[in-house]
Amino acid sequence: MSASPNVSRYQKRQNFLIRFGLLLWFSNAILLPVLAVIFALLHPLESHAQPAAAVTPNEMGTGSLLLQTNQDGKYIEAPRLATDVDLDVNGPTARAVLTQAFENTTDKWVEALYVFPLPEDSAVYSLKMIVGNRIVVADIKEKQAARAIYEKARKEGKKASLVEQQRPNVFTNAVANIGPHEKIVVQIEYQQSVRLADGRFSLRVPLVVAPRYSPQGASPITQQADLKAGWGQTKQSPSRKGSDQPISAPLMAPGGDRANPVTLKVNLDAGFPLDDVKSLYHAVKIDKIGDSARRIVLDGDATSDRDFVLEWSAIASNMPSVGLFREHVGKDDYMLAYVMPPAVATPQKAGREVVFVIDNSGSMGGTSIEQARASLDYALSRLEPNDRFNVIRFDNTMTKFFPDSVMATAENIGSARRFVTGLEAAGGTEMLPPLQAALDDSHQANGLRQVVFLTDGEVSNEQQLLDAIAKLRGRSRIFMVGIGSAPNTYLMSRAAELGRGSFTHIGSVAEVNERMRALFDRLENPAVTDVAASFSEKNASLSPNLLPDIYHGEPLVLAARMGKAAGTLTVSGKIGDRPWTISLPLDQASNAKGISKIWARRQIDDAEVNLTLGKISQADADKRILQLALDHHLVTRLTSLLAVDTKRLRPTNAPLTQADIPLQLPAGWDYNKLLGIGTTRDAKADTRHQQAADKSESADGDAELEPISAPAQTSVPLPQTATPGMLLILHGLLALLCGASLLFLALRRNRA
Amino acid sequence: MIVATRLQTIGSAPARSLLTFAAGILIAAGLFLAAQGGWIYAKAALAQLLLERAFAESVISGTPVKPWSWADTWPVARIEVPRLGVSAIALKGVSGQALAFGPGHLDNTPQAGEEGTAVYAAHRDTHFTFLRNIRENDRLRIARSDGQIFTFRVTHMAVARWDEAEIDPDARGVHLVLATCFPFDAVTSGPLRYLVYADLEETTGK
Repeated sequence: MSASPNVSRYQKRQNFLIRFGLLLWFSNAILLPVLAVIFALLHPLESHAQPAAAVTPNEMGTGSLLLQTNQDGKYIEAPRLATDVDLDVNGPTARAVLTQAFENTTDKWVEALYVFPLPEDSAVYSLKMIVGNRIVVADIKEKQAARAIYEKARKEGKKASLVEQQRPNVFTNAVANIGPHEKIVVQIEYQQSVRLADGRFSLRVPLVVAPRYSPQGASPITQQADLKAGWGQTKQSPSRKGSDQPISAPLMAPGGDRANPVTLKVNLDAGFPLDDVKSLYHAVKIDKIGDSARRIVLDGDATSDRDFVLEWSAIASNMPSVGLFREHVGKDDYMLAYVMPPAVATPQKAGREVVFVIDNSGSMGGTSIEQARASLDYALSRLEPNDRFNVIRFDNTMTKFFPDSVMATAENIGSARRFVTGLEAAGGTEMLPPLQAALDDSHQANGLRQVVFLTDGEVSNEQQLLDAIAKLRGRSRIFMVGIGSAPNTYLMSRAAELGRGSFTHIGSVAEVNERMRALFDRLENPAVTDVAASFSEKNASLSPNLLPDIYHGEPLVLAARMGKAAGTLTVSGKIGDRPWTISLPLDQASNAKGISKIWARRQIDDAEVNLTLGKISQADADKRILQLALDHHLVTRLTSLLAVDTKRLRPTNAPLTQADIPLQLPAGWDYNKLLGIGTTRDAKADTRHQQAADKSESADGDAELEPISAPAQTSVPLPQTATPGMLLILHGLLALLCGASLLFLALRRNRA
Repeated sequence: MIVATRLQTIGSAPARSLLTFAAGILIAAGLFLAAQGGWIYAKAALAQLLLERAFAESVISGTPVKPWSWADTWPVARIEVPRLGVSAIALKGVSGQALAFGPGHLDNTPQAGEEGTAVYAAHRDTHFTFLRNIRENDRLRIARSDGQIFTFRVTHMAVARWDEAEIDPDARGVHLVLATCFPFDAVTSGPLRYLVYADLEETTGK
């Protein structure tokens, strides 16, 4: 029995085992980290991808509404559209006439849905439809009833148009039964109030969903002469020119056929001598009519894929500090007052007390907590030496970093910043205790007290929180900073409203500095606090109910209804420590149109606030809103404008088809990215698609009669629904196997 | 392999201790990872027990009951498939936290049994594993926390990308969609979702 072959065999086997083991070890040493990295990357990717699109309709920019409409396979060909906006600015209000022309370029009867954004505070009050030489005037109706009548008219082949509010700033206009090659003109009138900030008046007309400006539009001079005449011009030229370019997709690629030419003109009567009038994003032609009046017309080759913004200011010496306007409607007078607080220089800024509350619960995990930390870090760096501050963090537990507010010394700020940097997201959300702690004002009694609340608002007890704010707010002002792509805007904006502060939304880390700077510029410069208003006459109904603080450069805007405009309106407040009052003689108000609608719109907002406060029930609020809307002819979440032509036009055997007006995405939006996967929808494919859709529709007579619903609500993004559990277990088992084999090897060698 | 030969030449003692050390680390890491994976399943199963209790309580009290004090969400419905003998308690919302414990009801969709399309989503490898076994015409029973019970009949199944599912929450009629990730046996997460569509068949009161 020789030992050598045995030994060599043993040696060989050992060599092989060592190599095998090391191979495993190396592959694992490399493979496992790589897998771990990939796996770690997968997560943020998923969570990045989803919030981007998983925004609920309420958080979405107008542009994204469009995206969700384009999946319906039923589009045939979109009706061609032209749009004209005619604005009349008279003192504090702007009344707009929005005229849209629909031209059915197909040989079918179609239904068109047009989505248009309006400013938040706008009031839509009139709809007229022009069919040939007939004009149909719409009536305000309760929303459900209007919808039912519209559906009925549509099925019966009547021409009908319905304006609905989808969200406070997004309206849809549905037009049914547009005959082959027929043109229909729909005219909507709405009103918005002019914004005043930092001595500059401004007016914004959202044109993003509405259409691009067409360079081949008629000459501006002709347009401004007369709306109808101008309208005729602008409608004619593009349709002649574009008749050979069929619109195949409801959503058009940039640079594609511009089907929505826009014309726009503004008659500006500021009511005071004007200094400078300019349009921020579009080329305009400005004619001087008088000292205080201008006529502005959209000019040149401007593409209106962004909102139209007009700004104007008064000659410095004539800058109005108060404004008082009146409108008499029915038996009542409606008043609108602008009060600009005097600019009192405060040599030494009074110290404030600022309490920061940061949510580090589990729902803030990922980028949200980073945004919150960055925001708070910025905020802390902005504190002045004579400010007092405290930091409270909470999940289902809470920590007050200082037992009570402390002076903002470099040392205190430094330690607070270190504390904030170390915060990690974990645990549940109990927002009430930190809210109560932040509002606890038992120690300091004077001066400004501001609470800055950073959270995503993912809580269940919203009402409880709002109640707490209403009860405990005292002199504290609450500023909500909403973190993440989809914070609970309802809770945040209501909380800020009740807390007489503001709501700032931070959607990405990149936005932190800009948004927080804007917020802190405001926070550091409150002009007037403790604002109150009273009338010498009785029975004045004032809106808003809860008067906000006035910040630097912003006016206080009050709307009121009273039997007869007489007596005085007294506004009082505190500038720093000094009391301030101003009396406005109401009989000197100048006449302006649309004040009653501003008042009604604000009353509706007040009703919503009272509903939140629990002062009135849902039924009461709905009743009040419905009454206001019907009285003042406003489109709200409960009312719609409806026009139905009584003449039956569509032959019963010609099937109705739907088509959305093509919509343009806002500038800077990536068309392909927004569309998701289908990057290229070439015309042929679309045509095939449409033909197929067409066939299916003609085969199934009832299918096309489904109601068009708001595109804002037609699709739901689904969450990620796979756990990494199996992956983790597999990784774990792999590592275990490798470890065991190595161990085995080591032991074998040991024995050898 | 160069290292391998070097290890041999250096001598066996340090190499051995290095190997043992590496093996120790690997085993520890393996145990940790496996435990983490296991914990996901354990959590999913355990949470359902607590949820079951909270749901029963909320049906009786008529108010939302949190399953544990620090929870961000609460049970809103029980989803049952009588043919398969499975059930799961669904939570409000579909945050990652909620889905770890049970199916989630999408906040921007109506409650099951209301006009429109209610959507529930859950993980394919925990609470909604049973979706793969669902067939057309199966009955789905949704018991809401207000005590009402709705029976839906499965009309069809489909696979779609998560952002192109074309689910209309305001559709006419009373509909239900159960959603989970697809394919079922995949280990990594992907963009596809498996959808089970159902229409209301019957309503049972309290």
